[in-house]
Amino acid sequence: MTTEATVAGDTAGTRPIKWSYMDHWRANGPRGPYDQWHSRQTMTRFLRQVAAVGFDAIDTFDFRFWQILEQYGSVANYQEFVQEQGLERIVNTFHGVYYDPERYAPEVPATHETILEDFKVTLDRWSGIQLDNIIVMPGSRFFDEQGVTDDGLKHAAEVWGKVGELTQQYGVNLTCHHEFYGGIRTRAQIDTFYGYADPRYVKFFVDTAQHCIADVDPVAVYEAHHERVSGFHFKDTRTKDVNEDYRLWPDAELSAVTTEKWFYEMGTAEGLVDFESMMRSVRDHGYTGWISVEHDKADKIGGDYSESTAIARWYAKNVLDRIYQEERA
Amino acid sequence: MTGIRWGYALNQWDTNIDAFVRKRDHERAFKTISISGFSGVELTAESFGPWEPLGSPEQIANLYGSLDGLRRVLTECALDGVSSYVYDPFIGFDVEMGRGHDPLDPEAAPRITATAVWFAEALAALGGEVLVVRPCGSAWQTGALDDDRIAALAACWNTVGAAVAAAGVSLALHFDFLSALRLDDGLARLLDATDPELVGLALDTAEVAVAGLDPVAVFERHADRVRHVQLKDARDVVDDAEALTPHAEQFVRTEGGARRVERWFFEPTDEGGLVDFESFAGSLARHGYTGWIVVESDQSPHPAESAMVSGWYVQNVLAPLTSAAGELSGSAVGKA
Repeated sequence: MTTEATVAGDTAGTRPIKWSYMDHWRANGPRGPYDQWHSRQTMTRFLRQVAAVGFDAIDTFDFRFWQILEQYGSVANYQEFVQEQGLERIVNTFHGVYYDPERYAPEVPATHETILEDFKVTLDRWSGIQLDNIIVMPGSRFFDEQGVTDDGLKHAAEVWGKVGELTQQYGVNLTCHHEFYGGIRTRAQIDTFYGYADPRYVKFFVDTAQHCIADVDPVAVYEAHHERVSGFHFKDTRTKDVNEDYRLWPDAELSAVTTEKWFYEMGTAEGLVDFESMMRSVRDHGYTGWISVEHDKADKIGGDYSESTAIARWYAKNVLDRIYQEERA
Repeated sequence: MTGIRWGYALNQWDTNIDAFVRKRDHERAFKTISISGFSGVELTAESFGPWEPLGSPEQIANLYGSLDGLRRVLTECALDGVSSYVYDPFIGFDVEMGRGHDPLDPEAAPRITATAVWFAEALAALGGEVLVVRPCGSAWQTGALDDDRIAALAACWNTVGAAVAAAGVSLALHFDFLSALRLDDGLARLLDATDPELVGLALDTAEVAVAGLDPVAVFERHADRVRHVQLKDARDVVDDAEALTPHAEQFVRTEGGARRVERWFFEPTDEGGLVDFESFAGSLARHGYTGWIVVESDQSPHPAESAMVSGWYVQNVLAPLTSAAGELSGSAVGKA
């Protein structure tokens, strides 16, 4: 958590920085690729790998709720299962929703009641454990040249403010994650959006690779908005979006022209994100608490989630933790 | 060295001559091993020139500039160094990719000794302590070894043991499931015939289990001779008749025999297998074992996953059981 009193859920304990793993995963078994939700045994293997390399916790997606009920009985039971493998807790959940202007879109006021109702239901479902953040894409995907209009940014800021007020009743931050293909993706859009959004209720979740791909300097955007930052996805990329891939349907992360693989684990060679500068800035702005590590789609073009997770955690321990512990310049 | 140190074998990454050649691949494996809680790596002697760059001291120097060059990379990856080198004398190093020597051949002893010393001196420079060797050929090649042949083997390995000791390295004989030593109590007879000061045992839990033996019982029988432990699991047994299959290395070990066993070895976990690791760890502690325990999965299709899963098992289950005798690397245990 940040040092600002406005950010809820400070459970970080004594170490200034703890590391959580955002639970993207694929592995290969005798029947081919599977993810960790395939069975309790595959979940055990996944969690043990994450714990073995020294992660403290995991993040997840809240759309896993039904699978959690089926396999573990309740969200609290699932967290106990996580803890039995040596991890502290579930820190954050990502609220993945397919936005549609007809029924569910932050820029469209007519859908705001639906959005609010959705969050009431979601927070009730997850109330068996204490989350720090529920992470959202603050704008719809960018499928046209207009993107999100200025009025749209105001509408989005308004609804997320209402949602954030609601989530804080559960002790959870509403925090915004800006995909490179999202409607709120450029530095100007991000600055404008946060200019409209109530800092008490609308937090900022910095994804280093997504910003970098969108040609937004992750260090600079963090420093501009650090007071409302409630978490990070630390991950790397080797290329910016140089082909306007952000416009592609259905998913610019999968159908891009620029590359078949956008995301790499931090610590990778040829990475564009300057993590050392990022960590110094995080330290110098007094951030303490959880940093989440992510490398979604790490298995593309021959990659391996296990190895990427080990390399990222090695980098966190042997490079970034040491930077954080250095004396401030 | 005192206490127990935990290492991980690199052989599961090195699946072919065109795999695991780049330094970048080595460094990713080193970091994966380090962050999974291990402090050393085990190398395997391979004779295939520059395509096996960790296979011999010469090739290490070719790729890393010197042995110190590799040592520096290991240190930069947060590892202490190399734990051990595995050397099979049947693999030739007089000429790269050539054939080696049979320890039963008395004339071979000087050549085997020279090669062993070559590896031992490199091992010492890399921080290692144990040269693990294949002591003899397979059961199908020789049948049971009579006393004369046991004596011949003992003479060879006593000589080698004395030579590598000069480099500060221990010699440990590795029992594999196809070995001639599985017949007529050959392992115990060979150990009895060798000098305990010069020749020890490398106990590989899975190889012993596939041979139909109980690793705990084998350890307890030879506890005073065990200089090195390799820890891995197995799920299928090969009996003496199957081990006597002609060219069993190819038709049984590689092809899986008539049963078409696809994978002989697995990383140590609590998921079920022939090896009772908790009993084994308890036995190590009771006998005060000190030295390296090198975890392997040997034939894993997913090397990083195997290292991480077994790292969890070591940190959370096995290391506490052996903690009376040593300590685990702080790599992951201390977390951040």
